[in-house]
Amino acid sequence: MTKEDDRAREEFTSEAEELLDTLSRDLVEFEAQGKNVRPEVVNKIFREVHSLKGLAGMLGFVEISELSHNLEDMLDRLRMGKIPITKDLIDLLYDSVDSLNRLVIAINDPSLAGLVDVTNLASRIHRTVTSQPQQKVEDPFSELTLDEQTKKSLTEYEEHRLLENVRAGKYILAIEQTFDFSDFDEKLRALTSVLNEAGEVISTLPALDSSGGSGIAFRLLYGSMLNEPAVAALAPDARVSSLRKDTSPAAVAAAGAAMTPPPPGGTTAADVAAEDDLSSLRSMSQTVRVDITKLDHVMNIVGELIIEKTQLEALTRQLTTQQQRMAAHELGKIARNLDRKLSELQKSVIETRMVPVGQIYSKLARTVRKVARELKKEIELTLRGEDTELDKMMVEELTDPLMHIIRNSIDHGIEPAAERVAAGKQPEGRVTLTAYQQGNSVVLDVKDDGRGIDPEKIRQVAIKRGVIGEKDAFDLQRAYEVIFAPGFSTADQVSEISGRGVGLDVVKKNIQELKGTIEVISKPREGTTFRISLPITLAIIQALIVRASGEQFAIPLTSVEESLRIYSRDIRTVERREVFTLRDFTLPLLRLSDAFGLSDDHDHGPDTKWFVVVTRAGEKTVGLLVDALVRQQEVVIKSIGERLKTIPGIAGATDIGESDIVLVIDVGTLIDHFGGRARETRALAVH
Amino acid sequence: MKILVVEDSSSMRAYLTTIIEGGTESYDLEIVEAASGFEALKTLPHHTFDAILTDINMPDINGLELVSFLKNHPVYKTIPIMVISTESSDEDRKRAAALGAEEYLVKPFQAGELIEKLRRLLKVA
Repeated sequence: MTKEDDRAREEFTSEAEELLDTLSRDLVEFEAQGKNVRPEVVNKIFREVHSLKGLAGMLGFVEISELSHNLEDMLDRLRMGKIPITKDLIDLLYDSVDSLNRLVIAINDPSLAGLVDVTNLASRIHRTVTSQPQQKVEDPFSELTLDEQTKKSLTEYEEHRLLENVRAGKYILAIEQTFDFSDFDEKLRALTSVLNEAGEVISTLPALDSSGGSGIAFRLLYGSMLNEPAVAALAPDARVSSLRKDTSPAAVAAAGAAMTPPPPGGTTAADVAAEDDLSSLRSMSQTVRVDITKLDHVMNIVGELIIEKTQLEALTRQLTTQQQRMAAHELGKIARNLDRKLSELQKSVIETRMVPVGQIYSKLARTVRKVARELKKEIELTLRGEDTELDKMMVEELTDPLMHIIRNSIDHGIEPAAERVAAGKQPEGRVTLTAYQQGNSVVLDVKDDGRGIDPEKIRQVAIKRGVIGEKDAFDLQRAYEVIFAPGFSTADQVSEISGRGVGLDVVKKNIQELKGTIEVISKPREGTTFRISLPITLAIIQALIVRASGEQFAIPLTSVEESLRIYSRDIRTVERREVFTLRDFTLPLLRLSDAFGLSDDHDHGPDTKWFVVVTRAGEKTVGLLVDALVRQQEVVIKSIGERLKTIPGIAGATDIGESDIVLVIDVGTLIDHFGGRARETRALAVH
Repeated sequence: MKILVVEDSSSMRAYLTTIIEGGTESYDLEIVEAASGFEALKTLPHHTFDAILTDINMPDINGLELVSFLKNHPVYKTIPIMVISTESSDEDRKRAAALGAEEYLVKPFQAGELIEKLRRLLKVA
């Protein structure tokens, strides 16, 4: 099997499992509602089987395709009211879904294939379908004033539902409303769900905004026991009109009386309910698909538990008298056990959120093909490290920035073929994306073998666009910074792929919102690498708690290189900036109290002790000057209000188990705002 | 050239895209995907499509309702449409034709069939 086949099989298996999972849940609902099942439940089951059949057929999974085809045929008759709802039928549906589940599992584990008797199921389905006499189809339109366009747009099923509603003596109404284009989907779904509470939305037909405006109009076909004014009250912004030719109560009542009796031999809902020995469906699948918001919720609970645990520890420390010591000892033991279990729980929850970054690789590959064609460049794309795992949310958020960087590399990095050949390179440009884990971070490198960044050219462009002044100091490091500056991106970057003509400044902002960093490493004529580093997850981090001017702050440990104790006399001033000589390196310092405008109550004598926390974001480091290091602990980052969001250097807030809320420092934006210094300037410079 | 693919199953969408991209390598073809009728409606004003491929059985609005809208729209009515659905819905096939859909493709189909109908739709050799 080729890699493409593998991928298709994987995608099929995952979607099929998801479909069957939903299907099982819908079957439970079907069974619970019994004979009076809501038509949309049956239709939904039909649609799910229909999708499964389509998928299996395309990919050549013959048994799944045949079984779902038979099942679909039966469900089609069922939703059209051609066969009755019986216990046998529900059993058959359960058995079929169970078998489909097994067949899907057998795709990846062929040893299980023999467990399913498709022939037996097929004949059971056949018997169910053929035991029912064909009913004659009535014309649902004879009693209605329905326009041709609406008639033609009804599917066979919708026509059947209309007929059922007409027969049941329901009011048949047209509901017309014009929506704003920007949010018609939300508004219309909300309206539909309100209407479905009191009846059945049979069809939804979009139309041009008749008022000539820029909105979009919808015409719903609705069957309900409620009359026009009652429905008008449910849909206050809509125009409601009756479609029945004769809406006098007598006619409706007569139509109601004419409702057809249940087909002979059919069981009632009570019958179904009475025989509740239906075998339970045991899923053989080892995989469960979970809504990410549920995992978020679990993650939050874990966070809260960690806070509780910290409080327990704090309390234990306060027990000091002789009598209390025994209790403290025991409590301490419990707290330590709890701590261990909590870390395990936390690790497991984080693991369940992890997905391989390879999920977005095929999308990226497609973009590269498209961009290459658009720019008429030959590109050889290599994607590595697709198994590297990252938080699901982050993978989603990463797609756009990655696409943008890759596009940028092809557009600005890779030279035209002729220029490449002249420079002794192969005509095809090479772009490589490599993902790998590094400590608690995941790193993504986008590397091209293009012309590299020419600082002089960057300077010219930056001056032209007013990003820097003519006389500003400029070096390679500054060039790397400038390309991420707002306003630097060129207008010709507006493209369909990035969609909105955004520049690298937006990419940087997106990455920073994920608490990540982006940096660039370039060699003239040899190529450029954009390096994105991201924390594996956002919610819970290890932090160093520090104190400055009486306030506590949490610094994420991933940003901390080391911490050391110094004296005031060790601090020097170079170019009006406080620095400290750390081994052979001049480390710029930043007083945390200055950064957040706190009054500095520290004694400034030469023998005053300080702590320096050496922090790093990407290739830049800064020493944060604080009064004390409190301890190291896990913190749960909570987002803070909109107002504080704009303050540079704050990632969020956390509750560390004491009374006060502690701010979590975002080293990346702190350095951006107050300046840092490239630590490995020499290593970064051109070799 | 740009085409819109409306299909609620993500793997079917991926499959369609792969076939189309593989079979139309020689022209400059861009595919925009929509996972529902609503999404299709929302996408329309942002592009100029040369063809639309749509499934019938979808949540929100079905493929026929989408065709009806398009074929009654002053701007979109000229966009050729291919309806893709299954053999069990012969009646729906007739309705799609009555509403003005140019092509109809029955699932499951061969890759070559899809490409041939798409070429016919786009009027390219």
